[in-house]
Amino acid sequence: MKRAAPPSSLALMAMLSTGLLLGGHAACASGEVVAVVATGNPVATLTRNEVVAIFLGKASRFPDGSQTVPVDQPEGSDARDASYLLYAGKSAAQLKAHWSKIIFTGRGQPPKDVSNSAEVRKFVASNPHAIGYIEKAFVDSTVRVVLTQ
Amino acid sequence: MLEIILHPSHPFRLLSILAACLACCVGMRPAVADDADTPVFSFSGFGTIGMAHSSERNADFTSTPFKEGGAGASGSWSPDVDSVLAAQLTATLTPKLSALLQVVSEQNYDGTYRPHIEWANVRYEFTPDFSVRIGRTALPLFMMTETHAVGYSNPWVRPPLAVYGLSPITSNDGIDASYRFHLGSAINTVQVTAGGYEVKFPVGVGHSASVQAEGLVGVSDTLEYGAFTARANYTQARNTIRLFDPLIDGFRAFGPEGEAIADRYGISDRRTHFFGVGASYDPGRFFAMGEWGRIETHSIVGDSTGWYVSGGYCLRQFTPYATYSSVRLDSATSDRGLDVGALPPSLALPASWLNAALNIALASRPAASTISLGGRWDLRKNMALSVQFDRNRNAPGSPGALTDLQPGFRTGGRYTLTSAKLDFVF
Repeated sequence: MKRAAPPSSLALMAMLSTGLLLGGHAACASGEVVAVVATGNPVATLTRNEVVAIFLGKASRFPDGSQTVPVDQPEGSDARDASYLLYAGKSAAQLKAHWSKIIFTGRGQPPKDVSNSAEVRKFVASNPHAIGYIEKAFVDSTVRVVLTQ
Repeated sequence: MLEIILHPSHPFRLLSILAACLACCVGMRPAVADDADTPVFSFSGFGTIGMAHSSERNADFTSTPFKEGGAGASGSWSPDVDSVLAAQLTATLTPKLSALLQVVSEQNYDGTYRPHIEWANVRYEFTPDFSVRIGRTALPLFMMTETHAVGYSNPWVRPPLAVYGLSPITSNDGIDASYRFHLGSAINTVQVTAGGYEVKFPVGVGHSASVQAEGLVGVSDTLEYGAFTARANYTQARNTIRLFDPLIDGFRAFGPEGEAIADRYGISDRRTHFFGVGASYDPGRFFAMGEWGRIETHSIVGDSTGWYVSGGYCLRQFTPYATYSSVRLDSATSDRGLDVGALPPSLALPASWLNAALNIALASRPAASTISLGGRWDLRKNMALSVQFDRNRNAPGSPGALTDLQPGFRTGGRYTLTSAKLDFVF
């Protein structure tokens, strides 16, 4: 029988694989991640640039002029790290550096985050201005996909 | 004790103090559970622990002229060039009104690390795309001026001095307004800045002088399209450096010929102009950027043009980069001054002193080129380690970026800087 790896080497493997995920720019996310808005939001589709601009604090409105309320996945989550890498080309460290520029000039704060895809879906469904990104498996009738990879 | 260095009669002084008080008062209010969208206040900070080594032992290298000492003559390794610690309090009073206080500790003109207020302003967001700030704000001459001190957010050990040294002032006491709009699928931001500043710099050991600006007006435009950013800035102000008054007044005592020299080189309420353009492309896997700037002071401080190009490539947590930068002096590095031969012997000696002092000042302006190679390692969350090697070549007759020149220093030389630093944000 194979012995289970001791916790310390598991942690090491986790750290290493996180490092590989952050560093490698390949789309190696566990599941496909899609950007969603509330079903009632009139926005039909968004381009990659538009979604990235909203999540990086560069745009505060949807193309139709209505205000956006972006909601993030938690720091360190696969969904977050993989999405920023895939859509914005930014690793977790690059994303932090980007927000440092904005925070330390008083120009804004990063989007608030909730704990997982189910919570993001719940937040987005309840707010007509919200936009979030979730694993494709979490899409249901309360939210509408505006961008797929 | 915090120090606000401001012109005593500056109309914006009160506003800066008000902004600081507001941020403090709100910060001291107990954090109550409020609307989750608007935190009452947030505390954050950043810092850099740096060491820099210069191969030139007869002069100091400093990252700004406002530091008392640096690497070289003051000690071959110096922590003062890049080390900084900053704390920031942001108070969100209503969804539209916020106040910001940023206190920075770095080496000052007098060699101390006494903290100073870098920003203290109140921001009102008329719409998410139109905001006005009043108080002490950034003077955004260059692409990275606003975050020059936040080492963690910059790709290099420090921004290239060839450009960022053209006008090293980073804060403005006054007002700025920022308006953002969509241009097709691009995002354009126009920013207008008005106000002034007063900053002290060291002159020799134990002495200081100050550079003042009044009537400052600037406009910048930033265009962002995906990973591409382009920016242009024009700023003008009336500058005064009283340090040169005795020299300029000395020339004035010599009649029309001296008056003409004084008018050409005086820097008292002198209209100065700055132009800058820059662009960057940062898709994540690599970055490429460049900036060009030109300052015209029409005075003894001279007119200069600087530029750089830089690029880096991300290899997992490592980002090696290379930069080439160059600054040249567009104004004369010497002047024949007063015609000493035409003066009676009793006046010839003081006239030759004045001529000599003028020429020393004209020749001391930076003109140099630098090749930089470095790398950044994002070693853990919110922390990065960087090393950089700069090979500097000073133009003939110029000390380049070096200050505190010692006997034995030769202008037009070459020297190498070796820098290492640890950046963090919290």
